[in-house]
Amino acid sequence: MLNSMNRKVSIVIFLFSMFYLLFSYQIEPSPFAKIDADIMPKGLGYLLLVLSVLLFIENKEETEQEKAKRNISKKEISLLLLIVLFVLLYILLLEAIGFIIVTILFLTATSRLLGYTNWIRMLIVFVTFTLVIYFSFNELLGLSLPSGILPF
Amino acid sequence: MEVIENILNGFAVALSLKNMLFVFIGVLSGTVIGMLPGLGPISAIAIMIPLSYGMEPASALILMAGVYYGAIFGGSTSSILLNAPGVSGTVATSFDGYPLAKQGKAGKALAIAAISSFGGGTISVFALMLVAPMMASFATQFGPTEYFALMFLGLSAISSLSEGSTIKALISAVIGLMIATVGRDLLTGTARFTFGSVNLLDGIDFLVIALGLFALAEVTNLVLTRNKENNSGSEVGSLRVTKQEAKEISGPIARHSVLGFIIGVLPGAGATIASFLSYITEKRISKNPETFGKGNIKGLAAPEASNNAATSGAFVPLLTLGIPGSGTTAVLLGALLVAGVTPGPLLMQDEPNVFWGVIASMYFGNIFLLILNLPLIPLIAKILYIPKRLLISLVIVFCLIGVYGISFNTFDLYLLLGFGVLGYVMRLLSFPAAPLILAFILGGMMETSFRQALIISKGDYLTFVQSPISAILIGVSILSLVLPMIRKRLSKNKQEV
Repeated sequence: MLNSMNRKVSIVIFLFSMFYLLFSYQIEPSPFAKIDADIMPKGLGYLLLVLSVLLFIENKEETEQEKAKRNISKKEISLLLLIVLFVLLYILLLEAIGFIIVTILFLTATSRLLGYTNWIRMLIVFVTFTLVIYFSFNELLGLSLPSGILPF
Repeated sequence: MEVIENILNGFAVALSLKNMLFVFIGVLSGTVIGMLPGLGPISAIAIMIPLSYGMEPASALILMAGVYYGAIFGGSTSSILLNAPGVSGTVATSFDGYPLAKQGKAGKALAIAAISSFGGGTISVFALMLVAPMMASFATQFGPTEYFALMFLGLSAISSLSEGSTIKALISAVIGLMIATVGRDLLTGTARFTFGSVNLLDGIDFLVIALGLFALAEVTNLVLTRNKENNSGSEVGSLRVTKQEAKEISGPIARHSVLGFIIGVLPGAGATIASFLSYITEKRISKNPETFGKGNIKGLAAPEASNNAATSGAFVPLLTLGIPGSGTTAVLLGALLVAGVTPGPLLMQDEPNVFWGVIASMYFGNIFLLILNLPLIPLIAKILYIPKRLLISLVIVFCLIGVYGISFNTFDLYLLLGFGVLGYVMRLLSFPAAPLILAFILGGMMETSFRQALIISKGDYLTFVQSPISAILIGVSILSLVLPMIRKRLSKNKQEV
């Protein structure tokens, strides 16, 4: 019954719409509004519920092309996950350590991870890029990026 | 004549040194990003938005519009040289463009593409000048009921026209609308789906979604293809187009500029559909259709004129109704709102400088693109050979900083990453992302007009079919969803018989 990918996905969406509906019934009613804030969420929740059921019933066989999209080796997936981890670290450290240092570290680490080997070119590009972005945000756009532990 | 005066004013705005510079920056970066296979026009615009922070509205709009049509222009280069379209609007370009490049006529193909794009772009901007004022004056009679119906049509059109399952596209759209309900309700101020978090009270910023669902998710394409550097680049060769050839492509350019423009105006369609339709039409009316796909220059000129014309066409609903018809123009609308412009029927009256300034700037943008793409093309094509391994991390940082620059809050960065993952998973499962972003951008407006319409009608839902305009729009929307399904059923039955 759950043999096809589309059916599995439809179950997830079904559960999600139940979850969404649950919360739309908890929206506090406003004493003044005739057409209140919960009307759209409830409508959308039921609409998604119906669509997930339709997706389940339709049970369309995926084309080869669609299946091929998921044909990614374990190694590549772990690479993508590592990049996600790097991004998480970047976000976590951005305000504490500062834009310039964290950005240069992130750029270098990611490019190394992806297999770029020309250290000199890499460092020239990344340091210039980071400094240009930092100073153009601060000076031209008037938005200050976190300076962190650096004095400027 | 007030209109003529305003148009001249618009040219004056566009011709100022500062705005000329922004047109140039816009089209150049659009061309460059559009050229990179994997990053589409939505990513191009989203990545460039941070640059427009704090700009005057007219300049911001001029810049972002330049990025948009520049991306479509640039996409053709990689279609021709690598057979790897940079944007989906230029897939049809590769049908005859790549065979020409393989025959050693890459230069000629690029030149024809540039000339056709220029023709399509310029003719359609002229059409935009004619049609937009008419549309704007028509739209002034629209109330909330009609607006709701119009947005409803936009969403059902994009869902029924997107590739693959219509149900999946509709699910994407509904999820987009749901994300739009997060935050404080616009009419009553009630907090919805904030889970007690202060960070969610103002809702989720569109840039978080645009950069996450598109730019970050598309970066994974670059990651997965990083070992395949674009080194195969053939010599560009001579750019010369003979008189005979110029004569041959003038017909298709004129025809498909008009066709592309009309398709661009329609909701849900856009550069991709326009270019395919033009290619098929040109092949059908051709005396020797068998030469198509083997390097026929008409087969190259038709989609190129058409996709550029469609981008101008898409500005009609965007500027005059304030309602985008596609994912790309939805992001463009978000960019406008960031800059403090609210497009709609009143934009032309209230801010003629912005309205006509951006339209006038498109003429110059097209001229710049012609210059960039003809003599400088061998130089620009080198961008295709930038190592992807370097590029990936730069694009990621650009996304992160773009989001950080609007909120200075790391919470939004986590959300961005979350949407990046969602965007990637959606691609894996063949859920189109364009309906989601369009629905998200329309969501707030749609809910407001829906409830306003019901307040006016005292809760009577029939109001949506009692207004003739709204009834027609809703009727067309339902047909657009139901007809393809019926047709599929019928063709299935036929096969069984």
